[in-house]
Amino acid sequence: MNLTPESKVLVQGITESPASTRTALMMKAYGTNVVAGVSPGKGGRELEGIPIFDLVEQAVAAVGNVDTAVILVDRYSVLDAAQEAIAAGIRQIAIVTGGVPPLDMVRLVRKAEATETLLIGPNSPGIIVPDKLLLGTHPKEFYTPGSIGVISRSSTLTYEIALELTGAGFGQSMAVCIGCDAILGSSFMQWLQILDEDDCTEAIVLVGEAGGWSEQAAASYIASAIDKPVVAYLAGHYVPKGQSLGHAGILISSRAAAQKAFGIKAQNKMAAFEEAEIPVAARPSEVPKLLKKLLKKK
Amino acid sequence: MDLLEYQAKSLFRQMAIPILPSQRIDNPADLKGLKIPYPVVLKSQVRAGGRGRAGGIKFVENTIDAVAAAQTIFNLPIESEYPQVLLAEAKYNADQELYLAVLLDPVARRPVLLGSREGGMDVEGSIDKMQQVAVDQEFSPFYARRLMLKMGLQGDLIQSVSAIVEKMYRLFVEKDLDLVEINPLGISPTGEVMALDGKVSANDDALGRHPDLAALSGKKQGSGFVGNRRNPYAERHNSHSQAQHSPEFDAKSQSPISNSESLQLIELDGNIGILCNGMGLTMATLDAVVHQGGKPANFVNMGSLNPYDTANALRDRAELALELVAQNKNVKVILVNILARASKTDEITAAVAGYLERKARANRHIQVVLRLVEIDSDAVKKRLGELPVQLVSSLDRAAAASVASAK
Repeated sequence: MNLTPESKVLVQGITESPASTRTALMMKAYGTNVVAGVSPGKGGRELEGIPIFDLVEQAVAAVGNVDTAVILVDRYSVLDAAQEAIAAGIRQIAIVTGGVPPLDMVRLVRKAEATETLLIGPNSPGIIVPDKLLLGTHPKEFYTPGSIGVISRSSTLTYEIALELTGAGFGQSMAVCIGCDAILGSSFMQWLQILDEDDCTEAIVLVGEAGGWSEQAAASYIASAIDKPVVAYLAGHYVPKGQSLGHAGILISSRAAAQKAFGIKAQNKMAAFEEAEIPVAARPSEVPKLLKKLLKKK
Repeated sequence: MDLLEYQAKSLFRQMAIPILPSQRIDNPADLKGLKIPYPVVLKSQVRAGGRGRAGGIKFVENTIDAVAAAQTIFNLPIESEYPQVLLAEAKYNADQELYLAVLLDPVARRPVLLGSREGGMDVEGSIDKMQQVAVDQEFSPFYARRLMLKMGLQGDLIQSVSAIVEKMYRLFVEKDLDLVEINPLGISPTGEVMALDGKVSANDDALGRHPDLAALSGKKQGSGFVGNRRNPYAERHNSHSQAQHSPEFDAKSQSPISNSESLQLIELDGNIGILCNGMGLTMATLDAVVHQGGKPANFVNMGSLNPYDTANALRDRAELALELVAQNKNVKVILVNILARASKTDEITAAVAGYLERKARANRHIQVVLRLVEIDSDAVKKRLGELPVQLVSSLDRAAAASVASAK
């Protein structure tokens, strides 16, 4: 993995929409080393000093090996764009686009596993290493450099947590949103492991949804494999009228299928975290308090 | 998007999954031209489960009985849904009833095949007898045969039922489905298989590339359709559309968002209206209000703000959202918690100001609690002037102020 400020970044779909162009320029302004953009048909142009190519492989031939591709193309072109990046030897891909069809993601995940490619997203503001690197759309104003790693599956809720951390004097070593779509390129577990091994990270904040399947899986993983202190914040304690909110999963209209395949046991959403003895903040503002306690113990 | 049984079966027919002769009935008089010989089964075409127990399925022997039964079924709501259509189908004598399904496991990120020998109405009661096989690599029919053996099928049934699962899987992939379920798959005394009832859910995000499925929803869909993640509330509560999240970088969806199509209002019971961006933040804000002893009246999740690119687009949108929230007369205070970069929050402030000025002229007195990260900005204070807005900088304070104002 290479998330240093020097690492080379390519933006796919750089001129597809005003939003994608703005994102590319924002990343560059933050200090990210954006070496190329790709937009089929726009090859040969330039966007404020960023050369644009028709194909990823042309870009790689011109600028040398690229560490990360940030994908901003439309949702039905995401699979193709990611496969193009993988074919050109790129092994880190952040997918900002949301609403990617789940079966496209299944194919992409298989491909990523076979090629050892790290996928972030889809439907994600990506990764921010405060004051060093922005891969995606995190608004910089909520972050400060420090030693807390944040892993989340929400966009704006990640900003909320970062604000609380920043306000309490806890800077962040890295914040990553694994994405808000149902089928994601990477799991909480992968990122927990990355942050556990990251020398700049002292403690980890996991931001998820109460009762989510991925969150429950993450809790058991933390208990068995993570050495650094972990604090969780899970939104969605309040469940109006017995319904579940959230974007954690595909809602299956067949209760039989859902019960079997997902083992839904809604009784105690916190059970997995209690069992793993992971402190869970009741509100975002409690996260820094719990962190202080844990870090003192250490 | 859940398809109705007759729509699911038309997909089964395309895949050569065996189904009984059937006919769509739009009103009871259609039964006079029935081409299927009696006895037939009349089935209510609603999305809810448990139609049989609710009285939505009736066996009839002749036209007179059929017309009467059809009238009854058309007038019978199941989970508050009235059928628009019935399905008349030939009767089938099944010796055995199996359960089969294909769906995605979002944690493993792989399709899963499910099967049980205890199919039919009571499948939920024998969930521990259900078997599953994960399709962890490229699909090949052996995955289906693996399921057959786990289910304990023997002899010719292994091939005939696994052929059905194979077709279900092909349908699942070709049409980007969230679920294909056959329950029951009837097996006759001679070993013939028949899909007696089926459920198909299309993935909302993929509808833009399946015009045939999108047409079934009766709504305009496409990759240009802004946001359409399914929400359980959309079907059960007062909601203004199916839409919820906005694909930020959907190049084909750049057309400005001009009406209330993609704003979804969820109604609850309290007196605090909530306006947020992003589902996680919305959930956290609801939690914070409830934690302080407040009662949310409703909420709107504006989703990603990136599509609001042109000048004033976000302001207009936020004003519309405020109007939506305040339509509920129980709403005493609106909590606006929108986290975005500074350029966007200016537009949100402008929306709140514009909205409250209009309300003041119309004599509707409503409070707003506006959560802004930078509350000491002179420009913000000047814009809000004497309007009934409390500016707060944190989520906790926003929740506390809203609860206090709603008392």
